[in-house]
Amino acid sequence: MGSFIANLLLATVRMASPLIFLSLAELYSQRAGLVNIGIEGLAAIGSLTGFLISLITGNPLLGVLAGALAGILVNMIFAYATITLCAEQIVYGMAINIFAPALAAFTYRVYFGSGSELVQVELMGTMKSMFGIKSDNFFVNLFLDQTPMVYLAYILVIVTAIYFTRTKSGLNYKAVGEYPKAAATLGINVIGIKYLSCIICGALAGIGGAYLTTCYSKTYVDGNVAGRGFIALAAVIFGRWSSGGVLIACLFFGFCDALQIRLQLVNNTLPYQFFQMIPYVATVVVLAIIGAKKAGPRASGQPYRKEER
Amino acid sequence: MKRNGIGALVIVPLLSIIISFLIGCMIIAALGANPADAMRYLLKGSFGNMRNIGTTLSRATPLIFTTLCACFAYRCGVFNLGGEGQFIIGAIVACYIATKAPFTGFPAIVLCALAGAAGGGLWAAIAGVLKVWRGQNEMIITIMLNYVATLLMGVVYTNWLRDGSVPQTVAVPDETQLASFFGLRATVAFPVAVIAGIVLFYFLFYTSSGFQLRAVGLNMTAAKVNGFNVKRYLLMSFIVSGAIAGLGGALELLGTQLRLINGFAAGYGFDGVAMALIASLHPLAGIIVAIFFAALRVGSTTMQTATGVPTSVSDIIQALVIVFTVAGMAMVKLPEFKNWFARRARKEV
Repeated sequence: MGSFIANLLLATVRMASPLIFLSLAELYSQRAGLVNIGIEGLAAIGSLTGFLISLITGNPLLGVLAGALAGILVNMIFAYATITLCAEQIVYGMAINIFAPALAAFTYRVYFGSGSELVQVELMGTMKSMFGIKSDNFFVNLFLDQTPMVYLAYILVIVTAIYFTRTKSGLNYKAVGEYPKAAATLGINVIGIKYLSCIICGALAGIGGAYLTTCYSKTYVDGNVAGRGFIALAAVIFGRWSSGGVLIACLFFGFCDALQIRLQLVNNTLPYQFFQMIPYVATVVVLAIIGAKKAGPRASGQPYRKEER
Repeated sequence: MKRNGIGALVIVPLLSIIISFLIGCMIIAALGANPADAMRYLLKGSFGNMRNIGTTLSRATPLIFTTLCACFAYRCGVFNLGGEGQFIIGAIVACYIATKAPFTGFPAIVLCALAGAAGGGLWAAIAGVLKVWRGQNEMIITIMLNYVATLLMGVVYTNWLRDGSVPQTVAVPDETQLASFFGLRATVAFPVAVIAGIVLFYFLFYTSSGFQLRAVGLNMTAAKVNGFNVKRYLLMSFIVSGAIAGLGGALELLGTQLRLINGFAAGYGFDGVAMALIASLHPLAGIIVAIFFAALRVGSTTMQTATGVPTSVSDIIQALVIVFTVAGMAMVKLPEFKNWFARRARKEV
């Protein structure tokens, strides 16, 4: 039982990491007034790119970088359509959710041909293996048996919290999401910040996707993001649009994911699909419980037109 | 101005389709095949002879149902992304009735269809209740319910209704299967889908409830001020759109798939969303768009066999159409664009 709980906690930290990247991506987007429901699609393209580049170069870190780049490129389509053309954000996010996974699936088919067996890629090493530590102590595992990406996720949470609450630039950024016209009269470049938010969002979503193929699973399969992009949306609402809240939400959803994997391993009487439902059902239940207290950025989802007076 | 508006609704998707096909041709050329050849096989495979037309219509049928599901919900301002889950629940219910009921034939078909629609409607009602009474974001809820429905279907075909050693359900008995036309693939499900589209069209544009429902979708506050029962319309749009998808799932099972198996209905929900948006949420246009994309998919199989271009090119083309259409629709609404257009019109006069 002790090892069950220990493994569960270790898996929670691992499973929360991709969610943290994706949720922070959504947070940066919404703080600038852009609701991007295309995170799932961005993560899909990041995941495929990360997989391909780390396979070609043999370096998972390069894969993560390429994943970030791919996320930025695809999100620039969203940025142009929603910021410059003022397209409806929800509708365009959906378009990204259809476009990006199709692009990923197509690229995979073309690169590997159809019907070939699953190609495997070397995963990123953990700090423990890098330093050659042999100990199997729980705390050693918790703090050192993790890939560098896990540390990056938690560092980003802290950096984001400081940025949005302690820096002038962060407050300006938030002003764009709260009241863009007032922000513009103060000399803040509203359009510029919105585009910047899309770059950050695309990069983080791409990294979150690439995490899945460079740190979590050795293979790429279509649909491997498995709704994490949408759970990230829920995590931002659950976390009340604050960096710390998002971290707690991600740890909770990561825990649900870890729990379902561990339960599948110990129980073989119930069909395994019931355990796989846990993260999705938990998301619905959590959203139902917290209700709809409006706490998000006020101008979220609204187009910003410069000329409008 | 009004005429310009309607013109844009047709011209923008058409232009998007042309541009997307041009890009598709470039991709095909880049893969080392002849785009003209590929396009010829694409057309031949989808509409070349009666058999292929039948296959196209049979592929279009489930897409029409999910497209109508999306059209109806969005007209009321409800972003139901759960078409896939509701479709699957409809199919699961129909599968149980078709394989377990003591009777077969026509009564079983009718019961399957009704129960499938009810199942889909109830599944959507979960999200509806959470939206109306808890104010929750229906997009996230419906998507989460998609995953739950897919996993539930997994339980059904790997455990509860498993057919021996193969992970699939037993087939629907012959008598309960839908009749097909002249030995083609298309079944009576296709006319049912078209009729459903016509009924929705009539309801939305020619009845006062339909008008009120659209009013809620256009401006919820104004509808509330005018004394419309907004909550009722919201909940109704969830249930009816879910029922349409559920009916589609039931008929797809009885007409085409005959058993539940891994990958049943995968992607149909989001496809429906895409097609509804391309059709500007118009039910009849939605039917045409769904047939068009079904043709693209059916034809791409012929294209793959003949030229070696992978079928996923058709997914890329479809995705590009949606990306361009939505951006184009937004562009023609921009004040700059409208001014430019008005200036041009004045010059001509």
